[in-house]
Amino acid sequence: MIIVDNIHKRYKTNHGLGKWVLQGVSFTIPPKVSVGLIGRNGAGKSTLLRLIGGTDQPTKGHVERRCRVSWPMGFGGGLQGSLTGRQNAKFVCRIHGHEDDIEDRLAFIQDYAEIGAAFDEPIKTYSSGMKSRLQFGLSLAIDFDVYISDEVTASGDAAFKQKAATAFKNLVDHASLIMVSHGEGTLKKFCTSGIWLDNGKAHWFDDIDDALNAYKDSLPK
Amino acid sequence: MIRYDYAHPRTSLSITLSVWNALFLREAVTRLSTGRIAWLWLLAEPIIHLCIMLFMFIVIRMRVVGGISIEAWLIIGLVFYLMFKRTAGQVQHALTANRALFAYRQVKPIDTLLVRAALEGFITTLIAIIMGIGGIFFGVALVPDDPLTVLAVFFGLWLMGLGFGLVTSVVAALIPKIGIVLGVISTFLYLTSGVIVPISHIPKPYRDWLLINPLLHGIEAARLGISPYYHAIPGLDVGYLFKCAVFAIFFGLALHKHFETKLITL
Repeated sequence: MIIVDNIHKRYKTNHGLGKWVLQGVSFTIPPKVSVGLIGRNGAGKSTLLRLIGGTDQPTKGHVERRCRVSWPMGFGGGLQGSLTGRQNAKFVCRIHGHEDDIEDRLAFIQDYAEIGAAFDEPIKTYSSGMKSRLQFGLSLAIDFDVYISDEVTASGDAAFKQKAATAFKNLVDHASLIMVSHGEGTLKKFCTSGIWLDNGKAHWFDDIDDALNAYKDSLPK
Repeated sequence: MIRYDYAHPRTSLSITLSVWNALFLREAVTRLSTGRIAWLWLLAEPIIHLCIMLFMFIVIRMRVVGGISIEAWLIIGLVFYLMFKRTAGQVQHALTANRALFAYRQVKPIDTLLVRAALEGFITTLIAIIMGIGGIFFGVALVPDDPLTVLAVFFGLWLMGLGFGLVTSVVAALIPKIGIVLGVISTFLYLTSGVIVPISHIPKPYRDWLLINPLLHGIEAARLGISPYYHAIPGLDVGYLFKCAVFAIFFGLALHKHFETKLITL
């Protein structure tokens, strides 16, 4: 269960404080419910994901996680360029408390990312596709109750996209998802409920179809 | 895939410990193995520094300071100052160097600073031992007369480095371009801590003003601890070094607590 309580968020810009991105967002995500975040570009979808994942802190309000929540998958940060893929993977396993079975998990990541010998090369030599494969493998190697995904299915070549979609399907069996996607099909496939973000407010819909309809109705005709 | 026992979530302490473990190993790898001979530079830098200073003192024909040989005087001063400088510098830059890691909510800014301080203390201790043994090998009188005091002072300078770094890391993160000012302060501390300038040669009342610098107390106490014949500066007080260090650490921790969210969201 994840409880989001009256979250406000604004960023600092070069000209002082920016406008409110999120203004009084509250909702509770029950256990085992996968949620899709819908909204226009700049509506604060990614910001909300980062706040739920704990990567960023809200200006006001707080998030309570009563389960194991992942960091935003496909998120660009969290890898150090001068270290190899393996060293970065070791770090992530360790901070998530997997010191004992680290070898199994490293093997899984290397196998899943399919980057071969590049696993032992510094991250800064990776292409962006290789990087996102590694990041995706990393998030799958750690067990969470809730995975947070920011358009992760969009990255990589066709074969990897296929692989990611299959992985997502398997995930939904034992964990839930919170995802941002502009693909209606993807959302309908994985999510049962939806949150529509509009003007800094969040609207909860038990059924993802209702959320999509509400979003579509708000678009200028 | 391996499943995890969800019924028993990790405690805050066990999360922090695993983060420290992971950070320590990661920092050690970056510090010792990026580049082909990164570990060699860690040792070469203070030795080159020492050689240059030694050369300058030989040119001005200064052989003895305060009753001990210039070699012993310089080695002790530089090695003990190194403990402060390296720790403070590494801790100060821990936030910018590890910004990417705050993507994982398990990693708190303070973790990166504490881990860096520990690693740097460890590395500098090894360097100090190597330089000490090297000096003794070349016939410099470096065998400590009072090993406990010497160890305590070494530890005190590490604490001071940690405290200084804790405070400056927050200041540098919150105030843009303040790094230049911090650099000037560091140079000032270096020159007034008696590492390369014999403070006992400075006349009163200016000498007493310099006693405000806690590093001066540490470095003079270290020389006195190694050679009991050393004419240490009057007014020497090791306790003052520890008081300043503890104050700086508490002040730094308070700053970190107060600006915790700001440091992540910056």
